Amino acid sequence: MNQFKYISPKTKEEVLKILKQEKSKVCIVAGCSNVLPYIKDKKLPAKLLLDISGIEELNYIKESEGEVYIGAGTTISDLINSKIIREECSVLHKAAEDFADPIVRNSATIGGNLADASPAADVAPPLLVLNAVLEIESINGKREVPLKDFFTGPRKTVLREDEMISSIKIKNSFLNKNGCFIKLGLRQAMAISVATMAMILEVEKNKVKNVRIAMGSIAPIPLRLLKTEEFLMNKEVNDDLIEKAIAKVREEVNPIGDVRASAEYRRYVSGILFKRAFNQLIN
Amino acid sequence: MNEIPIEFSINGQKRKVLVKPNDLLINIIRDELYLTGTKYGCGIGECGACTVFLDDEPVLSCLTLAAAVDGKEITTIEGLAKGNKLHPMQIAFLKNAAVQCGFCTPGMILTAVALLKENPSPTEEEIKDYMRGNICRCTGYVQIVKAIKACAEGGENESI
Repeated sequence: MNQFKYISPKTKEEVLKILKQEKSKVCIVAGCSNVLPYIKDKKLPAKLLLDISGIEELNYIKESEGEVYIGAGTTISDLINSKIIREECSVLHKAAEDFADPIVRNSATIGGNLADASPAADVAPPLLVLNAVLEIESINGKREVPLKDFFTGPRKTVLREDEMISSIKIKNSFLNKNGCFIKLGLRQAMAISVATMAMILEVEKNKVKNVRIAMGSIAPIPLRLLKTEEFLMNKEVNDDLIEKAIAKVREEVNPIGDVRASAEYRRYVSGILFKRAFNQLIN
Repeated sequence: MNEIPIEFSINGQKRKVLVKPNDLLINIIRDELYLTGTKYGCGIGECGACTVFLDDEPVLSCLTLAAAVDGKEITTIEGLAKGNKLHPMQIAFLKNAAVQCGFCTPGMILTAVALLKENPSPTEEEIKDYMRGNICRCTGYVQIVKAIKACAEGGENESI
């Protein structure tokens, strides 16, 4: 394995100071479940691993004035065991249950899954439909970035070298009761997604009152399907609408082919996942 | 490369070792402490053979840096039995012939113990879901699921 230094600070402030000093040399790690395979593959040139898994102030799930806050160091297991996540963010809860396996979920964190910026990051589509906002910190202060503006390409984000994600915020009006998440992998366990679909849908008097759709593994970044959403708004729910929306979904996704599936298959199955999710939510 | 002194408890014994920043926990357990019950399978967190308990939670020791376990408690398969008395899950695996080549068995048993701690009477589906990251290349899953069920039904799953 490549050589690197290892530091495990006990406070967020210490982390931010080190980030400021060392900048590009640093890779922040928590569960290490993505980073160690990269290092073994020699895909990661980091000189310094900054382990934030021991920092208690980054590990919480709380509700305050109707908003849900999730600390970046919260593990996927903690999401599953949280009553707030189960009741208020069911779409995220389902994605956490489908994540890897129970053992990896004890190490992997929500912040790590986002910062890794894989197009297949499983917590990204549910957080996109929940209109999550990231709180990003550096020693100079805090800024908020909506998740939809966070990813800029495969493994690329707007995070600057001296910044870290400190928490994820979900606003009151986006907490949902009628959401679903579907993961398509080559097998159930430990699979990197072939495609994922998260959807929140409100139907009133048989018309689409509100809909938000996001998918993973079907574009260079986890993607909100804004054009499909716009097409669906205020339309009457019937078979014809679903068929037309499937075509819209297939237009809007922009997949690549890889070892798990061809681009053609991903485009095709995106429409199928849309149909499954939509039918699940209207029934 | 600078070595880091760490101290942790493994199977109830305090140990002090010097580790390099890029040492993996599994290599320290196997090559420094000679506890070879923990198996190195895929090395990238796909197979579950290297499962150990870290502060009572199952983790993959091939995806854990040794430097990160400073001050923590580790239990490996060697720490499950009490003296000559096997853990009920080990007995259940033996009784139900849930071992073929044996390579996945340490990881399987530790994961199964963790399952029963969270959920003392799981359904077959719940067992399969929880064990989904532990791979048996002999494909002896039927006996493994049977053993876990038997252990749960026997009500013998003491905490370790």
